[in-house]
Amino acid sequence: MSKTVSIIITLGLVAGIGIIFVGDFKKDNTNIESAQSVEIKDGVQYITINARGGYFPRITEAKNGIPTKLIMKTNGTYDCSASLVIRSIGYQQILPQTGETEIDLGTPKSGEPLRGVCSMGMYSFIINFS
Amino acid sequence: MTTYTFHVTGTHCASCKILIEDILNEQDFIKKLRVDLKEETVEIETDSNQSAEEIANVLTNKLKPNGYALSVEKITQEKINDSVTWEAILLGLVFLILFFILQKSGILNLGIGGKITPVTSFIIGLIASVSSCLAIVGGLVLSLSAKISQDEVSDTKTFLLFHTGRLVSFALLGGILGLIGDAIGISFTFSAILGLVASIVMLLLGLNLVGVFAKNKIALPSGIFQKVFSVFRRIEHKTFTPLVIGFGTFFLPCGFTQSMQVAAISSGSFVSGLLIMFTFALGTLPMLAFLSFGSASFAHGKHALLFFKSAGVVVIGLSIFALLAGLAGLGIINPLFSV
Repeated sequence: MSKTVSIIITLGLVAGIGIIFVGDFKKDNTNIESAQSVEIKDGVQYITINARGGYFPRITEAKNGIPTKLIMKTNGTYDCSASLVIRSIGYQQILPQTGETEIDLGTPKSGEPLRGVCSMGMYSFIINFS
Repeated sequence: MTTYTFHVTGTHCASCKILIEDILNEQDFIKKLRVDLKEETVEIETDSNQSAEEIANVLTNKLKPNGYALSVEKITQEKINDSVTWEAILLGLVFLILFFILQKSGILNLGIGGKITPVTSFIIGLIASVSSCLAIVGGLVLSLSAKISQDEVSDTKTFLLFHTGRLVSFALLGGILGLIGDAIGISFTFSAILGLVASIVMLLLGLNLVGVFAKNKIALPSGIFQKVFSVFRRIEHKTFTPLVIGFGTFFLPCGFTQSMQVAAISSGSFVSGLLIMFTFALGTLPMLAFLSFGSASFAHGKHALLFFKSAGVVVIGLSIFALLAGLAGLGIINPLFSV
């Protein structure tokens, strides 16, 4: 195979990997779920995030200044997303394979987003408070 | 008295000169000796009646345990190297893309509900072995296997020891988890740091397989890399090393392994914890065995050079992925991507 052809294909493949990483194939889903994932009941804000093969929605917009609870939903989750780490509140737990886990977030302040990652670091989610 | 000049391969460090001289000076028939690392030649004066080829063979047998070889003809790798490198980069990248597409596709996220039995944990092991855990556990197995096969140590025995070590330690530790019912060693930070170390080792081995260091070996005479590699060279020949690495894979960061460890903890007895972790490890075995024994058969085949370089590219890609993810997991950098 000629060197030039190889170099061109290589550059193409590198670009392909970039698209796989940066591109978000599930964008549409995220927006729909994001609308339903925040709920205020009896003065408490509940944010629901599904954990299985990643965290959904990846980005959540929530209100600041009211008591907030995070609900992690798992359903037959064995992959990395079951082992959740939220550094800012010192949370490290392996979620049950199936069930709901409630995490108290206190009263979040504006401009301090909450970021959760799985223990290996390849799945993450973020909640913006405003 | 005759003078012969041989070409030497496998010299990767400045201290190789001393090592080669030490070994060759032990040979009675060599009267005078000069090692030139830059030209990669060894010049000897001898009173032996053997032909140059015979002497090269005899001396190569002495040097082989340390990874050097002498030859009468210069082994011309330089010319083919260039085109092979590009082919290897292509092959490696194609493999990486397929791997990440598989992760992104969500095929591997099938839910398995209900109680964990040895059968389900076997299936979870099968899934785990092609999941993102492959980036770290599989990458480590591939890089070590290719490196060992390249050095032509008795690779089959080493691989058998590794897989035995892995199966036995998963079973035993699983049993212990079931017995104590408490999280020993499942510290996220500990396993994340272990994962970082593993990915750095993979990165170095990957670069070595591609041949980045081979070209600069004179430029880095006593660098830290050489020290690291000479330590590897020494420990990878020992019997217990593959056993210990097999044991260590229990603690490597892998979401599936961690879930199974929790399942073993809540199983409540030695036997059930043992069964869960053992069948899980058994499920990961086909893929990992394929990686190690596959590298061995490629390494001794016709396309060995292409295989080593492609494996190097794959390992580098996986290690960068694991490294960035690991740093994000520790909260040192923001997550750059989400697979």
